[in-house]
Amino acid sequence: MSHSSDERNAELREFFFETAQELLQSLNDEALKLENRPGDKETVRSIRRVAHTLKGDAAACGFRELSETAHEFEDALALESAAANQSLAEIAFKAADVFTAMLAAYRGKTKLPSTAGFLKMVDELTHAPKGGKSKGAKSKAKKKSSSTPMLAKTGWSEYERLAMQRAATDGLFVYHVITQVDPNCAMPIAARQLVLNAASSIGEVLGVRPEDKSSAPTKQLEVLLASQQAQEAVSVKCRIPTVISSVHIEIVLTPQQQAGNVSAAEGNDEEAALLRDDAQITEAAEAETQSSAPRNIGAASDNILRVDAERIDSVLNLVGELIIGKSMLQQAQNEFARRYPKDALRGRLSDAMAFQSRVLNDLQRSVMKIRMVPVEQLFRRFPRMVRDVAKQCGKEVTLVMSGQDTDLDKSLLDAITEPLTHLVRNSVSHGIENAEERTRAGKPAHGKIHLKAYHQGNQVVIEATDDGRGVNAEKVKARAVEKGLITSEQAERLSDAEINALIFRPGFSTADQITEVSGRGVGLDVVQSVLQRLKGTVEIESRPGQGATFRLKLPLTLAIIKALLFRVEQRLYAIPLNTVAEIARAHESDLHVVDYFEVLQLRDQVLPLLRLGRASSSTERTGKIFVLVIAMGERKLGLIVDALEGEEELVIKALGNHTVSTDLVGGASILGDGRVVLILNLAALVERFAKMRPTETGSTISGILLSHSDRMQLAVQKAEVRA
Amino acid sequence: MEQFAPVKRSKDGQPVRYLIVDDSVFARKNLARIVETFGGQIAGEAGDGLTAITEYDRTHPDIVLMDITMPQMEGIEAAEKIVQQHPDARIVMVSSVGYQENIVAALQRGARHFVQKPVKPEVLYEVIKYVLGEDATVASAAGAGA
Repeated sequence: MSHSSDERNAELREFFFETAQELLQSLNDEALKLENRPGDKETVRSIRRVAHTLKGDAAACGFRELSETAHEFEDALALESAAANQSLAEIAFKAADVFTAMLAAYRGKTKLPSTAGFLKMVDELTHAPKGGKSKGAKSKAKKKSSSTPMLAKTGWSEYERLAMQRAATDGLFVYHVITQVDPNCAMPIAARQLVLNAASSIGEVLGVRPEDKSSAPTKQLEVLLASQQAQEAVSVKCRIPTVISSVHIEIVLTPQQQAGNVSAAEGNDEEAALLRDDAQITEAAEAETQSSAPRNIGAASDNILRVDAERIDSVLNLVGELIIGKSMLQQAQNEFARRYPKDALRGRLSDAMAFQSRVLNDLQRSVMKIRMVPVEQLFRRFPRMVRDVAKQCGKEVTLVMSGQDTDLDKSLLDAITEPLTHLVRNSVSHGIENAEERTRAGKPAHGKIHLKAYHQGNQVVIEATDDGRGVNAEKVKARAVEKGLITSEQAERLSDAEINALIFRPGFSTADQITEVSGRGVGLDVVQSVLQRLKGTVEIESRPGQGATFRLKLPLTLAIIKALLFRVEQRLYAIPLNTVAEIARAHESDLHVVDYFEVLQLRDQVLPLLRLGRASSSTERTGKIFVLVIAMGERKLGLIVDALEGEEELVIKALGNHTVSTDLVGGASILGDGRVVLILNLAALVERFAKMRPTETGSTISGILLSHSDRMQLAVQKAEVRA
Repeated sequence: MEQFAPVKRSKDGQPVRYLIVDDSVFARKNLARIVETFGGQIAGEAGDGLTAITEYDRTHPDIVLMDITMPQMEGIEAAEKIVQQHPDARIVMVSSVGYQENIVAALQRGARHFVQKPVKPEVLYEVIKYVLGEDATVASAAGAGA
């Protein structure tokens, strides 16, 4: 082992958290299966295997409570009667929840949740007669102390023995420290704490006897300690003045070589892979039938590396810098070609440039691919969730998923987890009608939700389609007016798509009654704001009476975009190229004012216009202008700019809130010649535009960046200083 | 009063510096007298938890003697805050009997040891030596032993 045991522990724990997620996922999956086929032996065995693996892994990482809880569960499943119990699926779900909560507590270093409720269920499982009808009749009386086993003074629990073994293989001594508490010490509990503190300061405390601090004053305190320190040093540290009168130390285990304890693992490859060199002592005896083990459970194949996402990010960052370097070279080369058009070196330079940029593109693509994960990772949490929500609402809903192997940037995937969950919950609780209503409408009583992912151009699309009642446009309209989001005249003029878009506005909720499930006062506007942040869009397609589709569109990655650069009043801006539908030229005299908005008649459609520049001078403008036609979902609008600069690949650098205090700017980038360009956040721009009301003064709407221009200028200056 | 073999800092042979925190002026004086018999030096005093934190930042003492019940901020919280800022801080809680819970809480939050009021010099002396560990040396040549 080349690195310290601390580092190794941290790594191991991180690894454990990841694999445990997978384990819990399959626990959920198996529980769902069991619910459909109660009493299925194979499924019960799978569940038991998961519990078993979790127990071992948790113990190896020192998560004792989790290990013991999983152990209880595993033991209960071994019983024939328990396996046939009808309520087992329910308990398995509960187990998944409890384990998840415990993991979260370990991870966040917060207080562990109570396992009492779950253990009681398990206890009933083991004692209930077959068929599981009489529940809790006698379980209370004989509530086992199994969750906190009180063992004989020197008897260590299974968990502790595993921990000892592990410590020894990690190159540590394991000591059994017996301290006598000073009879004059008036505070035995504080004394106990001091001993534990002292022990923790020189090693890891694997176990303590007595375990419970609230018990009557004890004269003797025993600590199982793993440490690199020599026995003498431990003795000095534990001989604590005023509270401890004497210390006796035994060496339980001495540091071991790596070899010699992998042997027991054979026949159980998966566990071996997970636990690596962890002790298998107690486990090997339980001959598990490994033939039918679920393929995906912790199958940490040798070809798969688990890498900290930060490392990949830093590589991607460097690639970004290289791309900036490339455009610097490109510019230098152009300059060279201009000055020495006849020089033979020119050709060689451009060959080298072409080669380099090709490799750079490949490199960029490969690095991005590393960050890609299949949407499966996101989707697989939904079966359980849909089941739970449907159950709560008293509905029956089937979930169908497709396109799980579509790849998406990991950070994007994490970011849309919440919004998508929200949408699906919403579909189950509001979209899908109850069985009665469905039958009346001539639909099957089972509702259906289809989750689908696919690539579309440079985007990933994720759809959640339900066959429920769809969005009631009239209701939406009425609610929007009632909430003051729009006026009633405005409402009349809106298209269906625009009406549907209203449900994403803050403070909007159509549910007639607030349900526990989805009406928590948080609306779909949260979904919208997350998607905006991710430079994606969310739209809804409703077929009244037949269902609705929520469609999330996301860029493949957030780090690098192809952008169109343009100038407004000598300042440089950029927008993602894929949002530009077309570029039109127009004369100032072609612009008209309708309802205080400037518009342009472009072929057969009227385009609302947005000026980024100053409002005051608009009347004096003459001559030709550029109009960038931007398509954002259903909406199109024109952006008036002064001059175009060209297109370029930009590496987006996030701007801190202290540099830019407007949401209209999504980031910045550095060009090859060192100039800084601000990347506009179009979604926010459109949003701002939509919210604008014609002013009383009668002036036209334009110059919306004006109020922020000072701050933005500031940002540019700051960024330039840094660059 | 008894004399103790002076405890010095092993890194530079200088006297050990103490910060004494107690809302009672009398208790502070008493503690100060005791630690001076150990050859210690008073780096600062504080009458409440908040002042204790600023005084710690100002003086960087080797040992803090911290009362538990005080106005403004209790000793436990002050101890916790100091240890968060300075993980190496050596804080010894000083408290009356009957505050075992608080002592345990303080120990869990990073206090190194505790002594009971009324403080017995010989007890505090042992505690100080233990808490300083290898960072202190006892000058054997000086004066009469304990």
